[in-house]
Amino acid sequence: MDSFFTRYRNLLALLAILLVQIVGLAVQVRRTNEGHRTIDAQDSSSVRLIRLWAEALIAPPEEAIHACKMGAIGLWQNYIDLRHVRDQNQQLQDTVDRLRLEQAALLEDARQGERLQDLLSFQHRYIYDTLAAQAIGTSGSDESRVFYLDKGSSDGLRPDMAVITADGIVGKVRDVFPHSAQVLVVNDQTSGAGVILETTRIRGILTGNAAGQLEIVGILADERIKPGEKVLTAGGDLIFPRGLPVGEVEKVIPDPERDSFIDVIVKPAAHLDRLNEVLVITNTQPRFSPQDQQDMATSQNVMGAEAQAIKDQLKASQIMAEHLPGLIDPNLPPDQQPLLDSSNPTPVAHPPQALHPDRFTPRTDTGALPDAGSAPEPDAPQTPAPERNQ
Amino acid sequence: MSVLGVDSRRDLEIRRYPLLAYVLVPLAALVLQAWLPRLLSPYDYFDLPLLATIFFALGRRSPVQGTLMGCALGIFEDALSHHAIGINGVAKTVVGFLAASVGVRIDVENHTIRLILIFLLSLLSSAIFVFIYRVLLGLDLEWQWFTELFRAIGNSLIAMVLFPLLDRLQIRD
Repeated sequence: MDSFFTRYRNLLALLAILLVQIVGLAVQVRRTNEGHRTIDAQDSSSVRLIRLWAEALIAPPEEAIHACKMGAIGLWQNYIDLRHVRDQNQQLQDTVDRLRLEQAALLEDARQGERLQDLLSFQHRYIYDTLAAQAIGTSGSDESRVFYLDKGSSDGLRPDMAVITADGIVGKVRDVFPHSAQVLVVNDQTSGAGVILETTRIRGILTGNAAGQLEIVGILADERIKPGEKVLTAGGDLIFPRGLPVGEVEKVIPDPERDSFIDVIVKPAAHLDRLNEVLVITNTQPRFSPQDQQDMATSQNVMGAEAQAIKDQLKASQIMAEHLPGLIDPNLPPDQQPLLDSSNPTPVAHPPQALHPDRFTPRTDTGALPDAGSAPEPDAPQTPAPERNQ
Repeated sequence: MSVLGVDSRRDLEIRRYPLLAYVLVPLAALVLQAWLPRLLSPYDYFDLPLLATIFFALGRRSPVQGTLMGCALGIFEDALSHHAIGINGVAKTVVGFLAASVGVRIDVENHTIRLILIFLLSLLSSAIFVFIYRVLLGLDLEWQWFTELFRAIGNSLIAMVLFPLLDRLQIRD
């Protein structure tokens, strides 16, 4: 037995290590309600510990490299690459002088613009709190399109926060560490975002394919979708606010798996391969100014008072209806309804007869003035007429 | 290609490196693998942790050490991604074991043999990755064969430059 272990020591070590890893893989995968298998989005404590160790090992050198790179760029741009700076400075000074003159002319327009903005106040309602962060590294794998930020939970980042640039959406925060965070880019195969086509208003799900392209899946074939159409976030995924630019349609291809469906390849608005500085949306709640909030409270109070007044009026009319005799009693047969009661002391009043009939005066078959006792016209509705009481 | 007995070649040609090299080279491979794609994307057809695994496995000619080195680097690589931990771990474990086992039997000093070996081991690593992801775990993954082919070629070319530089780290008696 001893010689067996000695002889096959290498192979046994390999099998043992493979077995441990395969068991570890098995516990990280679960089956969804639809029957699909997926990696558990919430890492177990042991898995998270390994990720934390890896991040703690890799992030400091990456940050150091990034700092060196930025320092070298700054050194080059600020101290070495200064050719023609004097000429540029003179040109800029001339531009400043010209702009000062233009500024005086535009000042009145600017004031008018401010007044209009105050009236509309749209900006106040859609400003989000954002945090600027630097991209410092990637996963190093094409099959895992994630990158790391130099900000973490100590800076207020949390999972599922949207990450954008000025050009468009980038991804969402997947995992957060104390001083760094992992961002899942929208062109990863496991990512997803609700999007809408700007012109056709067709909605779909944005995800990534094997080549790292963005594609909208699950769309029925539609000839209105043309290359160049803008794609925006739809806001239904609870990650990205509505209306952020995603990109534009590059081409439309048939869905290889489902007939009558198409995949829309999207050219991203943000440069997903060249990300340096990004913005993390840390607050997506609409933020109203105190004046807006006061107006809303006033509006709510007014609406409440109006609703109460309408309710009171309805209640009073119901009480009055209970005390007044009705013309239609649901408990009586049709021929015994109060409407047909000849003893009704207040019959329906007819208009008085015209002293000088003209062409607008209703006529009878004989051409005489209409008489309450005469027979109605054949086309006239057959309504019961109460007896004249003259 | 000269073929010697396993024990005699192992005794003759085991390479020793400073302890710092065992720490810094894999660490540098992981850091650069995470950082360089930001500069070179989408032309990042290389896998530096795989090259570090193969280099030490070929140099040490110990299957157990190659297995452990591949396992550690693969798991760290997985930990930096959002995949399940162990996919790259298994792939690089197998590669480390095979590289060390092959290194005992053939002359890996020959550049052509080294090139072919790294090319084949890279393809094997990719194949194991896809097999585990799609078959063993049953997860959805689109992949492109030419990307894996380019990566194998890129690994071979980088190794042609990198391995002679790393060979200078070995301790000579």
